[in-house]
Amino acid sequence: MLRSKSGAARAAALVAGAALVLSACSGGDGGGDGDGAQTGQIFAECDANPNECNSAPADQLQDGGEVTMALEKDIANWNLNSSEGNVFETGMALKGVLPSTFSSNPDLKFAMNEDVLESAEQVSTNPQTIEYKIKQEAVWSDGTPISAEDFIYIWKTQNGKDCPDCAVATTAGYDQVRSVEGSDNGKTVTVTYEKPFTDWQQLWESGQPIYPAHIAKQHGDLNTPAGLKSAFDWFGANMPTFSGGPYKIENFQKNRSLTLVPNERWWGEKPKLDRVIFRIITDAAQEPTALQNNEVQIIYPQPQVDLVNQVRNIPNVSSYVGLGLTWEHFDFNLDTPALKDKALRQALFTAVDRQALIDGTVGQFTDKVEPLNSNNFMPQQEGYEDVISETGQGTGDIEKAKQILTDAGYQQQGDRLMAPNGQPVPELSIRYTTGNQIRQDSSELFAQAAKQLGVTVNVSPTDDLGGTLESGEYDIMLFAWVASPYPFANAVQNWTTGQGNNFGNYSNPDVDRLLNEAAAATDRQDALAKVNEANRIMAKDAYVLPLYQKPTFIAAYDNLANVRNNSTLDGPVYNIGQWGIRQG
Amino acid sequence: MLAYSLRRLLISVPIFIASTFVVFLMAALSGNPLNRLLAISPPPPPQTIEAERVRLHLDQPIFERYWNWLTGLFRGDFGPSTESTMDIGNEVMSRYMVTLRLVLLAMLLALILAIIAGVVSAVKQYSGVDYTFTFIGFLFLAMPTFWFAILLKEAGISFNNAVGEQVLFTIGDSSVYVAGGAWDKVLDTAGHMILPTISLALLSFAAWSRFQRAAMLEVLNSDYVRLARAKGLRRGQVMRKHALRTALIPLTTVTALDLGSIISGAVVTETVFQWQGAGTFLLEAIEKDDVYSIMAWLVISATVIIVLNLVADLLYGVLDPRIRYA
Repeated sequence: MLRSKSGAARAAALVAGAALVLSACSGGDGGGDGDGAQTGQIFAECDANPNECNSAPADQLQDGGEVTMALEKDIANWNLNSSEGNVFETGMALKGVLPSTFSSNPDLKFAMNEDVLESAEQVSTNPQTIEYKIKQEAVWSDGTPISAEDFIYIWKTQNGKDCPDCAVATTAGYDQVRSVEGSDNGKTVTVTYEKPFTDWQQLWESGQPIYPAHIAKQHGDLNTPAGLKSAFDWFGANMPTFSGGPYKIENFQKNRSLTLVPNERWWGEKPKLDRVIFRIITDAAQEPTALQNNEVQIIYPQPQVDLVNQVRNIPNVSSYVGLGLTWEHFDFNLDTPALKDKALRQALFTAVDRQALIDGTVGQFTDKVEPLNSNNFMPQQEGYEDVISETGQGTGDIEKAKQILTDAGYQQQGDRLMAPNGQPVPELSIRYTTGNQIRQDSSELFAQAAKQLGVTVNVSPTDDLGGTLESGEYDIMLFAWVASPYPFANAVQNWTTGQGNNFGNYSNPDVDRLLNEAAAATDRQDALAKVNEANRIMAKDAYVLPLYQKPTFIAAYDNLANVRNNSTLDGPVYNIGQWGIRQG
Repeated sequence: MLAYSLRRLLISVPIFIASTFVVFLMAALSGNPLNRLLAISPPPPPQTIEAERVRLHLDQPIFERYWNWLTGLFRGDFGPSTESTMDIGNEVMSRYMVTLRLVLLAMLLALILAIIAGVVSAVKQYSGVDYTFTFIGFLFLAMPTFWFAILLKEAGISFNNAVGEQVLFTIGDSSVYVAGGAWDKVLDTAGHMILPTISLALLSFAAWSRFQRAAMLEVLNSDYVRLARAKGLRRGQVMRKHALRTALIPLTTVTALDLGSIISGAVVTETVFQWQGAGTFLLEAIEKDDVYSIMAWLVISATVIIVLNLVADLLYGVLDPRIRYA
């Protein structure tokens, strides 16, 4: 994509350029010739057809070429399975390099990786047994077959037992596996569970991909905890020179760039591009100018009004606002004495007008965002049911909120609300992340709504979200969770008694029972129904009010084909092997 | 002079210890480096968090942590980063080199421009040229760096569009791949250097040109310059050999003093042009509550500033024979 010109001409241009810049600073009109209209339309189909939009058959693509994408973080740790390496940007950078069983598509649903696996099926429910058939031709870039050995190695580091000192990001699921066995020359993997794990597709999926066991062996004895740890740490500290994907890493320059080139041993469809470069740009505000100047051709920043408008003015560039898996929500801290009363919680949530909140914040650059009505699923996901509307929460209906309070014995005295015991309802505090303007505005709206009920809510920021949640120094908190295509283990973590992510200490025995059953089911539909049943109970208890799905934003040059939005944790690089440049 | 230098450096030691102690306390107590782990959904297993706590010495009392850090410094050990694979010493040094490359060139440009503008302004005092330079100087003094840098980037893109080639770049210090030979590489690097260098240089130029003008005016009005002219020396000779040389003394010391703060203050330029230098290193460390990285940055910056202050004082003595250190 780089333009070239003779050296002398460029030298002359440089001198002239310096003179121009020095004398005039003539820019300021945005630099381009754009008339303000969106010039690019390559993502036009993406709403209707998220998995196929902007596609082009291979014969319409150039052979070769180079594409650069902005990456917002440097890569510090290469082991995506470690708590430290489990970073979204690192995952994007290695998507084309590491094999996995399942990954998430733009429609927010997961699918088996057909390049790697022939099949993955549940062959028995008691005990739950999953059989993976790996493609015969699947090999690592040194020729070693991808096999059951690799599955076993990952399971051992991740199950919390064989390598207790491996600092893994998650043990979910792996800790319930009784055995992983290989047969058919290691090309068939049989996984037997101790107790059923509904989200079995989550194991070895693209967020926790497969690393080569034969290379791990060179860095530690895989039969001892110490050896496993030493190999695990080695994968974190060393850039992968191996590959089991369409691309391999050619070069990494810390804080600057990562370069991928095609993996010659890749058995699937050959990538069209000669090179994919990830350019590290840690400040999203600098991405539009880099895009406009053609220093990068794809960006995937968090959308802000200014940034989105700036990008929409760049000629020959298309952009798209997607709806992702991250969702914002108000949480009550149920350890706050006043908030132990369900009626007050219901009334406060009812007084919040979510549509107004959206209009005043993310609605400024997209009309796609709508109030979210589930605590477990996004509307695009299998299993989504509206469990909030029937409660009336999030509507901003002040009269209804007041009615709830009156029915529960609260009384309005002047502009103060008195609890049934005759005491005034104490002041509450709502916290949000320092510097997040959207959350600040949303918190102010919450406080205004509460004011109308006679409850004073003080808005204060925290620069330590995790710490504040952990210590419980809040009455109401505004933050976000990332929903997963594999929802069941997450639901247990977030909503059941005493679990790590249940910061507000919600506890309802029915919810506990339903969610634990759902996470240990062998019938997915049955499990989805149970999660929704639990969610209905939880919604009535008014613990966490979902607000909206956070939008995502991609922009790319119009000549790029097969590049499209993917708002899941896989990101737009989920199909990096198919990216190409249109001919002509 | 040696004794003076040694004494100055010795005085720096308690200042160094006091300042690092205060900053260590503030950095260590203001945030929890484990937050990133705690905020992951679903959360990592408890043993992961515990291992990280031990690795980052968070299980030790704060005074012990400071003492271990301080004694570690003498062994060249800057302590553990929240990024377990990062060697803080190597990282901070390489990031400083990036900043130095950016800053030194900009300083050179700023000095040349400041001297020219200052001298011309002084010699042609209250002329149109003087007023023009004065106006430009105050304009740049008043201009916020980040805004000016963004303007420059826009101008650069306009220029690229005008010539129809990608000549100027807005990100980083060079392209990842450059087709062609060594000459193309030089041009590519130049294309990356121009905008950030101008952005940084013009701001220092603004202040320095005012210094240079004032110093030059003072010298031009002094008796020995009048004497030199009176005994028949040519105007150019007086300007170069007698006036300018003397008038450079204040600027030299100002430059040496400024260099430290410019290096640590280049963070805006670094961010806008995405040079991953020392300034962005500090910002990232603060964001991650990476106490030992913050301290490493502080130690290097404090050392640079202490040394440059000393150099400035010593230079004064070298340039002005009337000043003697005892």
